[in-house]
Amino acid sequence: MEIPVPPVASSSSLASAALIDPQALMTIRSLELRARAVVEGFWNGLHRSPYHGFSVEFTEYRQYTTGDDPRYLDWRVFARSDRYFIKKYEDETNLRCHLLVDHSRSMDYGTTGYTKGQYASTLAATFAYFLHLQGDAAGLLTFDETVREYLPARHRPGHLRQLMLALETPTAGRATDLNAPIERISALIRKRGVVALISDFLAPLDRLERNLTALTAGGHEVIIFQVLDPAELTFGLGQPSLFEDAESARTLYIDPGLARTSYLEKFEHHCAALRAISRKLGISHHQLPTTQPLELALFEFLQQRIKRGRQVRRARGATGAGA
Amino acid sequence: MSFLTPLFLLGGLAIAAPILYHLIRRSTRERTIFSSLMFLQPSPPRISKRHRLEHILLLLLRCAALALLALGFARPFLKDFSLADPGATQPRRIALLLDVSASMRREGLWPAARTRAEAIVRRAAPTDQLALFTYDRSATPLLTLDEWNRTAPGDRVALALSRLATTAPGWGGSQLGNALITTAESLAENETNREPGQPSTADGPREIFVVSDLQAGSRVETLQAYEWPKDVAIHLESVTASRPTNAGLQLVAESADANRALDAAVRVRVTNAPDSQRERFQVGWSKSADAADWIGTPLEAYVPPGQSRVFAIPVPKDTAGLRHLALAGDDEGFDNVVHLIPPQPRQAEVLWLGADAGGDPQQPLFFLRRAFTDTPRLAIKVTARDASAPLSASDLESAGLVFVADPVPPAMAEALREHAREGGIVVALPRGSAAANSLGRLLGREGVTVQPVQPDSYAMLAEIDFRHPLFAPFADPRYNDFTKIHIWNYRRLGPEPLPGARVIARFDGGDPAMLELPVGNGRIFVLLTGWQPADSQLAVSSKFVPLVWSLLELGGGIAPQLTQFFVGDPVPLPPEHGFTAVRMPAGTTTPLAASASEFAQTVQPGIYELAGSQPQLFAVNLDVTEGRTGPLDRDELAGLGVPLARPAAEAAPAPAAATLRQGAEAENRQKLWRWFIAATLAVLLIETALAGRAARATLRMKEATP
Repeated sequence: MEIPVPPVASSSSLASAALIDPQALMTIRSLELRARAVVEGFWNGLHRSPYHGFSVEFTEYRQYTTGDDPRYLDWRVFARSDRYFIKKYEDETNLRCHLLVDHSRSMDYGTTGYTKGQYASTLAATFAYFLHLQGDAAGLLTFDETVREYLPARHRPGHLRQLMLALETPTAGRATDLNAPIERISALIRKRGVVALISDFLAPLDRLERNLTALTAGGHEVIIFQVLDPAELTFGLGQPSLFEDAESARTLYIDPGLARTSYLEKFEHHCAALRAISRKLGISHHQLPTTQPLELALFEFLQQRIKRGRQVRRARGATGAGA
Repeated sequence: MSFLTPLFLLGGLAIAAPILYHLIRRSTRERTIFSSLMFLQPSPPRISKRHRLEHILLLLLRCAALALLALGFARPFLKDFSLADPGATQPRRIALLLDVSASMRREGLWPAARTRAEAIVRRAAPTDQLALFTYDRSATPLLTLDEWNRTAPGDRVALALSRLATTAPGWGGSQLGNALITTAESLAENETNREPGQPSTADGPREIFVVSDLQAGSRVETLQAYEWPKDVAIHLESVTASRPTNAGLQLVAESADANRALDAAVRVRVTNAPDSQRERFQVGWSKSADAADWIGTPLEAYVPPGQSRVFAIPVPKDTAGLRHLALAGDDEGFDNVVHLIPPQPRQAEVLWLGADAGGDPQQPLFFLRRAFTDTPRLAIKVTARDASAPLSASDLESAGLVFVADPVPPAMAEALREHAREGGIVVALPRGSAAANSLGRLLGREGVTVQPVQPDSYAMLAEIDFRHPLFAPFADPRYNDFTKIHIWNYRRLGPEPLPGARVIARFDGGDPAMLELPVGNGRIFVLLTGWQPADSQLAVSSKFVPLVWSLLELGGGIAPQLTQFFVGDPVPLPPEHGFTAVRMPAGTTTPLAASASEFAQTVQPGIYELAGSQPQLFAVNLDVTEGRTGPLDRDELAGLGVPLARPAAEAAPAPAAATLRQGAEAENRQKLWRWFIAATLAVLLIETALAGRAARATLRMKEATP
């Protein structure tokens, strides 16, 4: 089965396109509308119509042969042509993408007027909408310290709506456990697909590598989106005060002026560790400040898909040549 | 300003706390929620100069509150010891009470007591007033306040010391309670004979110094109800004997049982002091009045320390010269001898004037003889004489009791009246009408009639005057039933009532049964029935013997012998004793006036002899409590409310301790700490108000700036 890859523009052409400011985007209340705005804006900015070639799954008819399931007979074709044709379902060839979205309290943090959680939800909704438009199946798993919601990857009417609703569920958990959702999704997904992990990754990375290894070993394509607030990246918080941990409610007296260097050092070390894991497992890792337009994230997603498609084709070609 | 507890000033270091608090800029109220603190470490507090300037007034108030609190706890006081120690400038009234009781004769006590007393006299300031007292049974002034005041100031101490030199311990018992009361009252008297210019001691402190061995036998019970004057302090200066082992000997009081044999064992109590180191002693008769010089073998007495035991000392056959009982085996001899005059057998005579035959059980004399049987200490001789026979003066004089049973001649009646007038007792027993004249002469009344009466069945005694000494022994309801005595015959006496006579019993018919007529110092009784069976059942009743003995007692025939006294006890003397002098135990003789009613100079233990026509001996012994030489519990005195001063060791503290004490007193009087605590509270109130205002202002500012 070939993974369909949409034709996309180059990054330079994307940069020249008018991107939507996330600040403005987040003023739209509806998550679906936000996703639609991003996706359609993304398409509009492309030089070629995204509708061409984006029909990722070619619907095929084949002659009925004995032994085929009569359920799959296309009766309309039979009515027209009086021949038995079997319709090959789109389902069989469609992309299955699972979105793993962090809903812990740390995602509630935001200094830009919206939170990391809102940004992450919008990102996930964008992906889902985009995949839905392509006819691909999108699934969702939200988590904090445990798995909260799980929607299997489907492409059917109403599913997108359900997915949007799940994404809009407010955050509840107190901690972040990156291992639980990965273990769960490894156990749930039988068919290979894409797993997009959207989180701030502000949690210990001890068992992350092992779990991700299990996921990639299962043939899944994993993409990591690390959503971070600009304050977390720069720690430019003015006055000394009692800092309260959003998840554990632990308080510390922090003078940002004094603590900044140490914080940045440790934060960079944490991110480097995450990148090292990703590199080692061939996982693409994208750090997304919440001020970054979502189209760029979508672009990177697709870029990743193209890269992956080529790799697969090359791999197949090499295998065929060898055979 | 000084401080009683200066260590509390270290609490002032707490001022550093608000200063640091003001220096540290730490907006603890502002909270910032951050996604994760996993990359953060707590920052150290940062010091800000700007902040100190903002709340300088609050800072000053907080520092002041802490400083004032520390100062208050350090208990400040102003040094003013002239006020603090009133005794330092105010003249005192001092009484020195020196124990001269017998227990001070113990070895080493008296020199120590003298030294102690002299030291107290020398310590007296020139402005003080001093009185000296000695005490044993009572306090005796040795030097009064008046004498002290009259003497030139330079000679006072010398005078007091010379008076002290004349004293020596005597033989009296210790009555510490009485002595303290006397001394305290003498100190409380208004000062007199004060020299012009001499400071008044009326308001000054009064101190009593008691120099004594403070033995357990000091009697202090009288202090129980005494209300002490204010400002009296009592210093107990006790001296301790060098040898603690002491056992005392006392006679155990004998019961007044006249039937007790004279040769029965004498009982003595041996008391061993609590701190004695020995417990085996010998007790026995002694030839010497001063120490043990045994007659026969002494008794071994085992008495553990702190206990007392009673021993019966057998009396040897030959009782002549048995006057001293002695104890040996202890260290102190002052209480080891008791002196004893054994009671002598006495004789009483009863005269019966009548023609009765003593052996006839139908006659009253038969019963009278049997009622007056001899006892070991009293031999009673009943002499029956014919009433008509003339009586000699000596016959009547020796008779303690006279019964007139038959009519007597006029001369004898007059002699009997004279006998009664001199204090004798005459009992008339008229037996028939024939006795009327004789009775009239005896009673000194004209027209006395005697009429025999024979009641129909029998008569009984009624209306008995139990207040009369004759019937007083029957006053108890257990004994006052006379109704069992039936009377078959009695006599009615006329005229009724008999002038001057007192009816002390009547028959149930209303006729007098017994009359009493006082004559001079004595009295004449008339009994109008007989006790023999022909007349009544009186002789066979239980009332008869006590009744006739009461009659004998009224006549003075069996007066108790007083032969034992304690040192200091006055010895009563009979009205016409006839003694001319008293031979003292030491051998000296003290003349005795004929009119003296008592002899009071019983100053030492021993055998005294009243010299005269009929010499009489009596023994004087130590007070029974004087032998209890264990220490007196100071708590007992304190419990009786005696205002005791602290012991000498504490009363003369080291200079540093004295300064501390003065400081404590000054601080206690001034109580400056209260002002400091009040100031602290005031400062805290102002601080609270200011801080509240500042907080409200900040809040308003925050609300104003969105």
